[in-house]
Amino acid sequence: MKITDRFSKGEFVVTAEVGPPKGFHVDELVAEAKEYLSDIDAVNVTDNQSSVMRLSSLGFCKALKDAGLNPIFQLTCRDRNRMALESDLLAAALFGIDNVLCLTGDHTKLGDHPGAKPVFDLDSVSLLHTVRELERGVDLGGNELVGEPPVFAKGAVVSPCSDSVDAQLAKMERKVMAGTEFFQTQAVFDPERFISFMEKAKQFGVPVQVGVIIPKNVGMVRYMSQNVAGIVVPDSIIDELKADKEKTKAGVTGVEIAARIIRECRPYCQGVHIMALGWEAKVPEILKLAGI
Amino acid sequence: MLVTKLKDKDTLVSLITGKAFVINCHGCKEVGFPEKEAEEFQKELFREGKITGVLTTDYICNPENLKLHLDMRSKEIDEADCVLVFSCGVGVQTVSEHLETKRVYAACDTFAVPGGQGVTPLEYDCKQCGECYLNLTGGICPLTACSKSLVNGQCGGAKNGKCEVDPNMECGWERIQRRLAMVGRLDALRCPVQIRDYGNEVDAAE
Amino acid sequence: MLNYTKYKLKSDKELTPFLKETDNIFVVACNKCFKEFESVDEPDCAEFVKMAEEHGKTVTGSVRVDFLCNKIQTMKDLDIPEGTDNIFVVSCGLGVQTIADSVNVPVFAAANSLNYRGHHGMALTSKACDACAQCFLNITGGICPVVDCSKSLLNGQCGGAKNGKCEVDPTRDCAWEKIEQRLAKQGRLKEFLDQPVQLRDYSKVNYKAISEFVKTARESRLDGYYGGVHPSERKEMSEDISLVRFPEPDTVVIPLSMHSGAPANPLVEAGDKVKVGQKIGEAAAFISGNVHSSVSGTVLAVEPRPHPTRGGGVLSVVIQNDKQNEIADSVKPYGDIDELTPEQIVDIVKESGIVGMGGAGFPTSVKLAPNKPIDAVILNGCECEPMLTADHRVLLEYADDVIYGLRAMMKAVSAPKGIIAIEDNKPDAIELLQAKAEGIDGIEVVGVRTKYPQGAEKMLIKRILGRQVPSGGLPADVGAVVCNVSTSKAVADAIKTGMPLVERVVTVTGERIKNPGNFIVKIGTPIKELIDYCGGVTADDITIKTGGPMMGIELTDTDVPVIKATNGIIACDKDHFETLSCIKCGRCVDVCPMELKPLYFAKYHDESNWQGMLDMNVRDCIECRSCEYICSSKIPLVAKIKAGKSAIMEMNRK
Repeated sequence: MKITDRFSKGEFVVTAEVGPPKGFHVDELVAEAKEYLSDIDAVNVTDNQSSVMRLSSLGFCKALKDAGLNPIFQLTCRDRNRMALESDLLAAALFGIDNVLCLTGDHTKLGDHPGAKPVFDLDSVSLLHTVRELERGVDLGGNELVGEPPVFAKGAVVSPCSDSVDAQLAKMERKVMAGTEFFQTQAVFDPERFISFMEKAKQFGVPVQVGVIIPKNVGMVRYMSQNVAGIVVPDSIIDELKADKEKTKAGVTGVEIAARIIRECRPYCQGVHIMALGWEAKVPEILKLAGI
Repeated sequence: MLVTKLKDKDTLVSLITGKAFVINCHGCKEVGFPEKEAEEFQKELFREGKITGVLTTDYICNPENLKLHLDMRSKEIDEADCVLVFSCGVGVQTVSEHLETKRVYAACDTFAVPGGQGVTPLEYDCKQCGECYLNLTGGICPLTACSKSLVNGQCGGAKNGKCEVDPNMECGWERIQRRLAMVGRLDALRCPVQIRDYGNEVDAAE
Repeated sequence: MLNYTKYKLKSDKELTPFLKETDNIFVVACNKCFKEFESVDEPDCAEFVKMAEEHGKTVTGSVRVDFLCNKIQTMKDLDIPEGTDNIFVVSCGLGVQTIADSVNVPVFAAANSLNYRGHHGMALTSKACDACAQCFLNITGGICPVVDCSKSLLNGQCGGAKNGKCEVDPTRDCAWEKIEQRLAKQGRLKEFLDQPVQLRDYSKVNYKAISEFVKTARESRLDGYYGGVHPSERKEMSEDISLVRFPEPDTVVIPLSMHSGAPANPLVEAGDKVKVGQKIGEAAAFISGNVHSSVSGTVLAVEPRPHPTRGGGVLSVVIQNDKQNEIADSVKPYGDIDELTPEQIVDIVKESGIVGMGGAGFPTSVKLAPNKPIDAVILNGCECEPMLTADHRVLLEYADDVIYGLRAMMKAVSAPKGIIAIEDNKPDAIELLQAKAEGIDGIEVVGVRTKYPQGAEKMLIKRILGRQVPSGGLPADVGAVVCNVSTSKAVADAIKTGMPLVERVVTVTGERIKNPGNFIVKIGTPIKELIDYCGGVTADDITIKTGGPMMGIELTDTDVPVIKATNGIIACDKDHFETLSCIKCGRCVDVCPMELKPLYFAKYHDESNWQGMLDMNVRDCIECRSCEYICSSKIPLVAKIKAGKSAIMEMNRK
């Protein structure tokens, strides 16, 4: 089910994210996803996230699809050249996976195979362009595909709280130009920054889902704020997590904060993308609290 | 431009069976050559009686002059079981072509450094891609200034303007963005989607 | 010869979109890149200007710059005319980025950079290296699998080769077939088969380490002054050997010309008895020098004799040494610095025949009588020549005298500052002199990072004072006097004891001298005796030089005397090279401390284009030999430069 259909109906689109395991035993993860993520619009499957080798995104997408969920196939340019990317996209079409999120990908040096060759034959923009070319029935080499071309809902990412907003907007524009139909954002902890970003981003007329990470504890948010690109955590959130240690430990504070961010951002965007990072079980609770 | 680093000692020791003739190339010493480390290792070999001779010269990549030197030292080379070359990969290959039947070993690993001419490395590099992108990027090369050599804008991995791979390196695309703004060419970011053509390599002349 | 020029003009079609949106174009074209040096100017600049004009564009001007990637030199040649709105650069990406880095108008690339796959090397050969940082040549018989195999396979061929040719290019041999043949020839196939599986480690090409390397390499390249080189120092052969007084020679030959300027007039004739320190030659002009006897004995002859640096036939005084060391009556202490006036100090220096002992032999008294205010006397203790250790030993063993001489010279020129500059390869000397100079007003000891030719006056002044001596000018033009440390010691001796310059410290060294050492030697002692005393030379095919390996002068005859400027005698293995064509690699331009372009001197010399040499400022050349040292084609640049200088003098005379 193309997620773009939801946007065009004017719905507030909800997605969440799961990471495939380092191994091929997926039953538990699929069961968990089924239990907690069945009611949302789609589930992103990460592609060797943080350059750590795992089960392929496509393989896990297939497993979710078979279990009745609606997967979004995340595809990075780090590990495959243009030919491998194109053939994986065709395989996705074969499996009926019709949502794809195109990313550049983290550098190989950051992960668990630092000696691997960083490919980056394409990048997020040219990958989106490639998807569009396939949809036109031709590959990047200019050769025609046999039979009906595939159709995807094409997504991309953007960092609204980046320290270089102008560069982000420029890149966003290029992604729109290359055919992006929806955006998911890097995690937002400061709705005000997000809102002022959206003031500028709305000109593109492409739906945006605000990205939300459940803040688990002070150490985690501090680390992200200092080290993760595009993430800024205001002191007020850190104070809030500090205030009642027991409550934070139980996950209640994080759920409250996540739900509040969604509520505050909702009037300015078209959906939410929740990165639960292992706390998938809390997703229904957050959505309830956020009034969705 | 090339620089060399000595291979680790265990690797070097494992290479030498019997006696070695040593060749040091000082041609690119001004750019970078592990002179002290090489000398130290050779002194050790010498003490163990494992060296038949040492030739220290420069630009062994020049086949004419290399041949002249090798011919003059043929006796010491004949006595050796292998030839250990302290130079870049070009030098090792030039020696091994002249001494086809001899075991010729590379004692160094070779690294590329930015800069094409002269002996002073540059702060920026040219990847010689054959399809210059500088016209679209305000004269900052996206292939060398960006760790991922992206040609359509930044990856989003930069934090505080620094690259995700190295916090001491500025994000190339943020630099490009600033440069374009400075020279009033931000419209260059609206160019068509760029896709590399890797078919532009020219093989070294035979 | 191969052509590895790294750029090629873009086609009209490629450039049209950029020409369409620009006007008032200034064109910068790189004019030198790896290729045989045949024509001075490359055609691409004119081609692009024509193209731009055909598009109806106004071209505000154009400039051809040699080695555009050499930013420092490029900036000197770049003068962008008023009214320029855009710059088009005809060069590889390095040149474009050099310009784009330095201007505030849009910069466009008019050329594409070519990648001769893996060709990062120096010589224009077909051998290439991809700089993979984990050299595989040791397991492949010296044939590179990364460059020579189209797929850069590391574990054997792919099976795609047909008739021994690569599947990608049927004119190209399959690298792996070549490797297997080579290994078979060496009986190493089994060894190869036993190798573990090879994997590339792409994290080894670590640009973080490379960028750090580049930073330090640039710092050391540009440290203090532009250019210069770092030849192997090889000072360990003699640096720790204490000074020894050299045995009395039987006969000394004292040339009447051991200084720049006019030869001295002889004051003695055959048969005369002379004593140590007795004046035997009188300065003949303002720029000239007195000459004294270094022994007591009888004058055998006053006749032309071979000279170590000027060849045969220099009028010399030959003296039979009676080994009594009788001192001349004129040798008496002059008193203390505090009691002497500046003029008296200059007179003592002049009377004592003191000339620059670092090599040039310029009369010190002339340096001490400038007609310009001097604020600093710099003592040159760099001894940047490889192998030589004479000044180093003087610093260690006569530190007090060196400082005394400096104080005298500071008084002579009324300079408030005295700076002793010592290269950091002599930490013991720096430490000692710093301790000795502590508490002495105005004297500072500075350790400087080793870089040849730091001991050249102009380089040292730039390094220490940050001042640029103008082209054709003298140190005094920027308020400085530079003297060698041995000269300073001679000044101290003259004042304290009255003994003129009759002996000096000489290093005898080199890998072909049996027993190297540092000696206090009487002027006029035959060099041959020094070599013999050190056990002689240990091979036949060697080069003997007076001075160091860089600027020293080759001796074909060792029966020549030690003179005032003889700081060393070296015996080294002879270099055998064939001179090849200039390949425009740009290294000479990168190392010339005078910021000249030596490659032109070679070309113009070969064409007898003396005016061309003059226009390229050949007369500023200090003949430090850095260019020749770095030349990848082994062109004897200094000989060509010297020939050019004489031809220009000849030309001007006419």
